[in-house]
Amino acid sequence: MKPSVASLYQAVELQQEIPPLLIGERANANGSKKFRELLLADDYQACVKIALEQEARGAHVIDLCTAYAGRDELADLTALVRLCAGSLKAPLMIDSTTPACIEACLRLYPGRAIVNSINLEDGGDNLRRICRAAKKYGAAVVALTIDDKGMAMTAEEKVRIARAIHAIAVGECGLRPQDLLFDCLTFTVGSGDATLRDAAVQTMEAIRRIKAELPGCLTALGVSNISFGLAPQARKVLNSVFLHEAVKAGLDAAIVDAAKVIPLARISAEDRDVCLDLLHDRQAPGEKEPLMRFIAHFTARTETPDEEGQGDGVQPEAQLFRMVMDGDKEQLEDVLAILRERFAPIDIINQILVPAMRHVGELFGKGELLLPFVLQSAEVMKASVTLLEPYMDKSEGDAATTVLLATVQGDVHDIGKNLVDIILSNNGYKVHNIGIKVPAETIIEKAKETRADLIGLSGLLVKSAMIMQESMAQFTEAGLTVPILLGGAALTPKFVAESCVPEYGGPVVYCADAFAGLKAVQEFEAGKLTSTAYDDVTAVKAMKPGIRVAEIDRTVSVPTPPFLGQRYVTDIDPSVLFPLINVEALFRGRWGYRRGKMEAGEYAGLIQKTVRPLYEELMRKSLAGGWIQPKVSYGYFPCWSEGEAVLVRADDAVHRFSFPRQAEAPYLCIADYFKSDREGGDVAGFFIVTIGPKMSEETGRLYRADAYHEYHLLHGFSVEVTDALAEYWHGVMRREMGIGGTAAQGIHGVVIQNYQGSRYGFGYPACPDLEAHNPLFSFLRPEEIGISLTENMQMVPEQTTSAIVVHHPQAKYFAV
Amino acid sequence: MTPERYICVNCGYIYDPAAGDPMNEISPGVAFAALPEEWVCPMCYAPKDQFDPLD
Ligand code: B12
Repeated sequence: MKPSVASLYQAVELQQEIPPLLIGERANANGSKKFRELLLADDYQACVKIALEQEARGAHVIDLCTAYAGRDELADLTALVRLCAGSLKAPLMIDSTTPACIEACLRLYPGRAIVNSINLEDGGDNLRRICRAAKKYGAAVVALTIDDKGMAMTAEEKVRIARAIHAIAVGECGLRPQDLLFDCLTFTVGSGDATLRDAAVQTMEAIRRIKAELPGCLTALGVSNISFGLAPQARKVLNSVFLHEAVKAGLDAAIVDAAKVIPLARISAEDRDVCLDLLHDRQAPGEKEPLMRFIAHFTARTETPDEEGQGDGVQPEAQLFRMVMDGDKEQLEDVLAILRERFAPIDIINQILVPAMRHVGELFGKGELLLPFVLQSAEVMKASVTLLEPYMDKSEGDAATTVLLATVQGDVHDIGKNLVDIILSNNGYKVHNIGIKVPAETIIEKAKETRADLIGLSGLLVKSAMIMQESMAQFTEAGLTVPILLGGAALTPKFVAESCVPEYGGPVVYCADAFAGLKAVQEFEAGKLTSTAYDDVTAVKAMKPGIRVAEIDRTVSVPTPPFLGQRYVTDIDPSVLFPLINVEALFRGRWGYRRGKMEAGEYAGLIQKTVRPLYEELMRKSLAGGWIQPKVSYGYFPCWSEGEAVLVRADDAVHRFSFPRQAEAPYLCIADYFKSDREGGDVAGFFIVTIGPKMSEETGRLYRADAYHEYHLLHGFSVEVTDALAEYWHGVMRREMGIGGTAAQGIHGVVIQNYQGSRYGFGYPACPDLEAHNPLFSFLRPEEIGISLTENMQMVPEQTTSAIVVHHPQAKYFAV
Repeated sequence: MTPERYICVNCGYIYDPAAGDPMNEISPGVAFAALPEEWVCPMCYAPKDQFDPLD
């Protein structure tokens, strides 16, 4: 019987009557931008449509690849295999290198699939596992001629690796020769690299030899690599001619965009000749090099731009630089493959990638590039380094300045430190990121172990700043003298200069953001880094905004809450929070899409075309993924004021909440909004709300997948959803107390507190004491809904917020 | 040309020169650029550099 594969509906012979077998390549998250975007939008139906379109255009088999950073490949691939199995007539090619994904897909695919692919990169472990699965489920397998030394370049090498794979797959795992399709992986003939001039010749020779020397085995090839780096129209022609030549050499299957294959008969004789000369590296005496002639021949024509905008014929160095600048990963592997032929990986990093990132940083500093775009650039940098690393010696890059990063003890705030990691490591520095909640002892130990040149510490709340201060003495005692960089929202230059610098021998530097950290490291390298200085006299003294009326009405009636004591609420529909999301703060603040120097129209376009869609996608995804799990513990408690304190009766105990009083007129203090015992007492509301731990899990996943931009987006989104929940619940409590709800406020009304009363979060200026979390936790008992308190008074999960709710109509925000 | 409104990127408060900012005792008619350096957002206390031209 002829070797064939099959879907639920039909069998397809691998050796077509008129070869080759066409394998559609567009349903590939790495190869097709369109497919990737649909996948990222979780639009499986549209993904299947791309597969169907290729079938309509003549593909015999459809390649399906969903591997993409930040995605759950197993979930995506199995879901799509299931959908395709039902709607595609063409059999599937399961494109993955993850054995577990392959096994899962083979198990559920109702026909005989092809697996794409195996290789010998790891010496054969994955290969054996995948071949056994293929044997079990009766699949064919594409085998790439790659071993631990990388992609084979010469025919000799390609055949040698093919033999080695054959020995394992057929000899050990029991596959039949016709179950194997060898892909000899061609390099481009379009780069001008002298060592690659015969790339096509080597590939065709390898195909010929594999067919002859490994009888029964088949061959497959991704054809379009042959022309990488050339202009799009010329590529189409060259690819088609090459396909024809490869088939003549014995190629059975081609992985192509079926729509872009031009029948040979439609290619003019002149076009064909220049292509053949290039492919066969033919140069008659007195003639120019075949590549020169090819380029000259095709540039003489007017070009129609390619719909995917790929390959524009520029120098690969410039192209890579551009790609970093533009945050474009589309053809990264190809561009790097070309560059690797000419430069050592470390030179690609130091000569192209790092300068590109520096440039990005400078533009950011000048306000000409927004943070989200910087993160996208860093992703390209990171992906490049990851692709280059296998070709580098372990010791290379060891000379780089080393930075140890940690979030201090009792603090789970990850993202500030991680952004610093992203910026530093993608500017060529070596970063040891040792995580969150790191005690000073561990920091000391790791600093010595890694021989860190600098230490960077991060923290979210004021308590973490205190910890930083305390650990300075410990660092000194341990004999450390390396510079220490400090960052985090609650830190100020004043605090660093006055409380931290004097405790430590080396420089201690306040860093407002990750770029300040980068600047400090650069100053360190230049021998110019000095401790933060703070001059009380010249420093700008922030104003203290607040209501200017001093007289607080003592006669307002105390509302009657529906109950006294504590209650939990866990059945809040997450979608009710969306209308309360502070979109401006999210876009401009959390995400960094600021208008800055942009024209109003340009900014509106950016918001409408880029930012809004991202926002809408996150709302959809977080609902679909169940990432928002709102939970509330709240209550109303009898209370009375005593000077600057509010005494709260809960569970038969009295808890004292102390608040500071403004040092200047109008001398406000939160306690003044409550009646004293003599005045008849009052009622105070309290809440702790959380959107649960899922967001932290999801952001962690994105960070680990180097999906920096999405990581930053989701984190920003999660914190605004948390605020929306606080806003929502405050509205519920106002309604319950009969002092109006959130209705008709609109989000801007909420921003300016256009409602009766106020809520004050512990740790904010009018009620700065975070220790208040101790009594609060004792009577709201949020542990029941999964919230705990660290020794720094931080609430975990991070997306949690607490407040005291005040009903007094004069209560508004004020600074102390 | 009417003086431009500015928005606090941290909390969304809008500074409208036509209204001024009573919380900071800024009378109506003061352009954003003319606000003193030590002026902060009346809602969240973010400094001036955290403001972005609104529309
Ligand atoms: C968003 C936010 C929230 C969100 C989410 C928190 C989160 N991160 O998940 C919510 C609404 C849940 C929240 C809650 C609370 N918050 Co809050 N929150 C903020 C806000 C606005 C931004 C924090 C943030 O995530 N920034 C984004 C990250 C990326 O920035 P970052 O961590 O600061 O890191 C950057 C820099 O600081 C620097 N950096 C950081 N570390 C390092 C290290 C090195 C070596 C270097 C070089 C640089 C560096 O570079 C980073 C990137 O550029 C800040 C105020 C502000 N504008 O910064 C207040 C702020 C941190 N919150 C504050 C408070 C009080 C609280 C609450 C206690 C309020 C309450 N009672 O509920 C809770 C506590 C939450 C908890 N889990 O315990 C106060 C803290 C003051 C204090 N007393 O400690 C702040 C400072 C606001 C203020 N001005 O008063 N908060």
